[in-house]
Amino acid sequence: MTKLTKLFLILLFGCLFIVITACSNSDTTIDDNSSSEKDKEPFGKYDPAIDVSFVRSIDSTLDLALVDGETIEDNVWLDYYRDELGINVTYDWTASAGDQFDQKMNVSLASGDIPDFVSVNATQLNQLVKADMIMELTDLYEDYVAPFAKEVLESDGSGPFDAATIDGQLWGLPNMSSSIDGAEFVWVRTDWLEKLGLPEPKTMDDLLAISEAFTTQDPDGNGKDDTTGLAVTKDLWDGYAGLKGFFNGFHAYPNIWIKDASGEIVYGSIQPEVKEALQTLQDMFGSGQIDREFGVKPGDKVAEDPAAGRNGLHFGQQWTSLWPLQANRDNDPNAQWKAYPLVSVDDQPARPQITLGTTSWWVVRKDVEHEEAIVKMFNGFIEKNWGETAEFDKYYMPDGAEGTWKLSPPTPSPPNKNLDAFLAIREAVGNDTTDQLEGEAKVINGRVSAFEDGDDSLWGWERIYGPEEGVFGIMDEYVNQDLFMRDEFNGAPTPTMAEKNATLEQLQNEVFTKIILGDADIDEFDKFVEDWKSLGGEQITQEVNEWYQNVN
Amino acid sequence: MRSSQLPLYLMVIPGVLLVLIFSYGPMLGIVIAFQNFIPAKGLLGDQEWIGLDNFLYVLELPNAFRVLWNTLYIAILKIIFGLIVPIAVAILINEVRVMSLKRTIQTTIYLPHFLSWVILGGILIDILSPSEGIVNMMLGWVGIEPIFFLGNNSWFPITLVGSDIWKEFGFGTIVYLAAITGINPELYEAARIDGANRWKQTLHITLPGMRMVIVLMAVLSLGNILNAGFEQVFNLYSPQVYESGDIIDTFVYRIGLMEAQYGVAAAVGLFKSVVSCILVSLAYYLAYRFADYRIF
Amino acid sequence: METKGYKYFTWFNNVFLILLALACLFPLIHVLALSFSSSSAAAAGEVMLWPVEFTLSSYEYVAAKSEFWRSMFVSFQRILLGGTINFLVTILLAYPISREPKEFKPRTFLAWFLFMTMLFNGGLIPWYIVIKEAGLLDTIWALVLPNAVPVFNVILLINFFRQLPKELDEAAYVDGAGHWTILWKIYIPLSLPVLATVTLFSLVMHWNSWFDGLILMNKPDNYPLQSFLQTVIIQQDLSMITSGDLEGLSEISDRTLKSAQIFLGCLPIFLVYPFLQRYFVKGIVIGSVKG
Repeated sequence: MTKLTKLFLILLFGCLFIVITACSNSDTTIDDNSSSEKDKEPFGKYDPAIDVSFVRSIDSTLDLALVDGETIEDNVWLDYYRDELGINVTYDWTASAGDQFDQKMNVSLASGDIPDFVSVNATQLNQLVKADMIMELTDLYEDYVAPFAKEVLESDGSGPFDAATIDGQLWGLPNMSSSIDGAEFVWVRTDWLEKLGLPEPKTMDDLLAISEAFTTQDPDGNGKDDTTGLAVTKDLWDGYAGLKGFFNGFHAYPNIWIKDASGEIVYGSIQPEVKEALQTLQDMFGSGQIDREFGVKPGDKVAEDPAAGRNGLHFGQQWTSLWPLQANRDNDPNAQWKAYPLVSVDDQPARPQITLGTTSWWVVRKDVEHEEAIVKMFNGFIEKNWGETAEFDKYYMPDGAEGTWKLSPPTPSPPNKNLDAFLAIREAVGNDTTDQLEGEAKVINGRVSAFEDGDDSLWGWERIYGPEEGVFGIMDEYVNQDLFMRDEFNGAPTPTMAEKNATLEQLQNEVFTKIILGDADIDEFDKFVEDWKSLGGEQITQEVNEWYQNVN
Repeated sequence: MRSSQLPLYLMVIPGVLLVLIFSYGPMLGIVIAFQNFIPAKGLLGDQEWIGLDNFLYVLELPNAFRVLWNTLYIAILKIIFGLIVPIAVAILINEVRVMSLKRTIQTTIYLPHFLSWVILGGILIDILSPSEGIVNMMLGWVGIEPIFFLGNNSWFPITLVGSDIWKEFGFGTIVYLAAITGINPELYEAARIDGANRWKQTLHITLPGMRMVIVLMAVLSLGNILNAGFEQVFNLYSPQVYESGDIIDTFVYRIGLMEAQYGVAAAVGLFKSVVSCILVSLAYYLAYRFADYRIF
Repeated sequence: METKGYKYFTWFNNVFLILLALACLFPLIHVLALSFSSSSAAAAGEVMLWPVEFTLSSYEYVAAKSEFWRSMFVSFQRILLGGTINFLVTILLAYPISREPKEFKPRTFLAWFLFMTMLFNGGLIPWYIVIKEAGLLDTIWALVLPNAVPVFNVILLINFFRQLPKELDEAAYVDGAGHWTILWKIYIPLSLPVLATVTLFSLVMHWNSWFDGLILMNKPDNYPLQSFLQTVIIQQDLSMITSGDLEGLSEISDRTLKSAQIFLGCLPIFLVYPFLQRYFVKGIVIGSVKG
């Protein structure tokens, strides 16, 4: 009997041993085939075609892009890369976008699986450099980038490259995305303005008057006290019903790093202007202009208010007319909204704050044979969508499909492309040459004119791109007057930031919320500033300034 | 003596192998708790060993004790009510004589278990609203002032416990109902002949018949002493109630957002496991010592 | 012989339980009502328990969605395979471990050996690597084998097995029956309520799991239903909408569509319960088996 037990135990540990060794044998076979001679043609085709591996994220919007039996692995973009550039794209894995994609990426990295080319965030890029797993790209980029692609990639300042630059060398290609599209506007329900005989908001005082009138003067005319002034979400900084735009009106710039008068980089959230804005919000909450329950409501809950006609004022990005305001229009065809530039408390214009739109970078695994293939794909993507030989109707947004461009692995796009589309539409409408519009502008103009011909379900598009009142008209003003307040820090989190930022952010949101609710006195703000500094903020500020010295 | 033990060994082999490979194999990863772990370097790669730094890092964060306290408070209430409510409801269901009603109730109460907290969160904001929620409306009928369940720091933990019970008690009754079903009907028969009424039957037959499962569930539930329910809290809390609602798991989640801090997460996980292990072992011993029952 | 007091109690008890049941039914009816409402009414929060502007369009959309049905098929595969394996492994572990140490010496060690896995785990990365090294990624086995031993179920079953009268074994031994026969002919038939319970637990576990599918499947084609739904119902992070997402914005935020998929996704598992329920209803008279 005891023998049997012993045998059993031996078996147990034997198995455990097998498991351990199985894990440790991560086999890395390096292909030592000498590579074919490399030309430095930005669009040079590989012959025979080469295989390169990627991973990709998916979400439910890709359904709209895949038409005529196309799949993630077989579509116009992969055909283009194969037929024109001689690059066969394969996917090691696909995962749904968001948290899960990051986790899948991290487990794959940990298990030693990294595809030839992969797009990562700034933190992962830093770690990959430290782990010596990726290739330095400074020369590669200069050698292979096409002139037009270079122009596009470098059109958003140095920010997109700074984050991928370590010790003066470039390690990742920015998957360019718009920074300015994150700017905020004041969105107001104008049919209510007219009804109550209020002027359009030009100053913060106007805005506060509107907020009060929308709360107390029964703008929906149902005889019930059921409307609120300003919509706010519990997360405070959302792109819909966030507070960034409001703070900007007080020349306060929460959550971003700004340059102060002396040229030092300082944190926006702890500047004295923030206090003034918080005081005003506290007063607004006290007089019932902000939903009593906003502190527990996420964006989609807050969005019920405008949709049901109980709210007519919020700060938000350019897209809020598509969601949630379109639902308001669907429920009430008389509802009308319009975006206005941010308003200011004094005679200085309000400056909308923006952060770097580029949030991912393409990196190249160390032993990849044709590392320049990724640059060629960048060239091809930008050229076919916006270049001289663009085939927009095939590659960007063919008839019956939406977001076809997302099928390409890298998707760097010109940072001002939406604004450019708007400007093209406005000009064409002015000159009566809309039939000559091309590309994105043409598709969007189609939607705007369909709205004008009576399709109310496209109202949201007209509010964004309509040549008369479209929100991008204001964006154009922002650009012309160079109003943007950019986040000066674009790097991967600094050491102290990685350690302390979660705590500091929590502290900030907790204190701000309490002040707005009136649960804390406004002077709590001063204590917050002290706490912020002593809990690591001071150290972070120092690190951010060091980083800034290094890149500039 | 009797038949050979060989079959017993054969029986456990598949299960033991599977557990070894898929549960004990990954446990090697506990070492991550002592490393400054960077995924890109690989599990067995050249990771930096930092001793107890991950543990100290968490302990030294300004809100560590607030978070620990919140977790304990919420988790303990959930353990207590998570035991009592399903047991009570199982006994009450057992008293329902109309078969069709009994079945319908059983089936219905287990439904909320299948809805995720993302969905229930949206519903709770509506029904718990102080201004128009149905719960406060009903409280109003009996003259109670509206309560801001999700926004008030004294009520928030209670709301968490209450809504968790609402979601899970039905599913929890299943195991007790199975225990009740396992009671020999002859015992009730004998009691009736002795003139015991329903209440006495419940007290002297039903409850003792469930004793084994109750002890088992009680001991095992202590393993959750530091699990206050990530998904639920994550979907319901807000800066307004961080003070009373921020728990270990949400805390670690927010830290992890900044950088893939697997070392910290592993350290917190290990801490939770060790605490659970100590408590469950203690409970196991106590149950054996005082109730003379070994749960396994 | 039932007293007046007991009659009142029965009456109150029934009413109380019915109210409780209604409170539990409420969220599901809400989801159902949303799924039949127009998106704009849903977005305005106007839907409670009855559809507003009734429409079947969500269901038409889901019906045409091949991923939905394919993932449901994967889920069925999973609960069939996973449920069967769980059932066998649970019984085969519980029976030996339910014996006294003098009959099966390693039982106590094994009980703790299993139990520890409920408390300790190595976290995401090593778990993934083991499954990857076992060559299971992207196969249905990755969802089934790592979950093959539901330890709680085993412990539950051990306890029930130990409650069975020892005389039954004795009698069987005398008749010359071996362990396999005793397990099959005596233990299993006498444990139907608890076997129904553990089966339900394991089916529900397999049906509800979504995270492992998302991480272990390399292709979305292989997602089980709940993993697929997760890609649909996650809340859009409103601070990070990029210009490229504009086209999808209205679809992402469509509550009615989500509700229809959630409801359909729950339906199969709801239908399992009444089927297993019949084992909970009647007690088993041990005496009659013994005779």
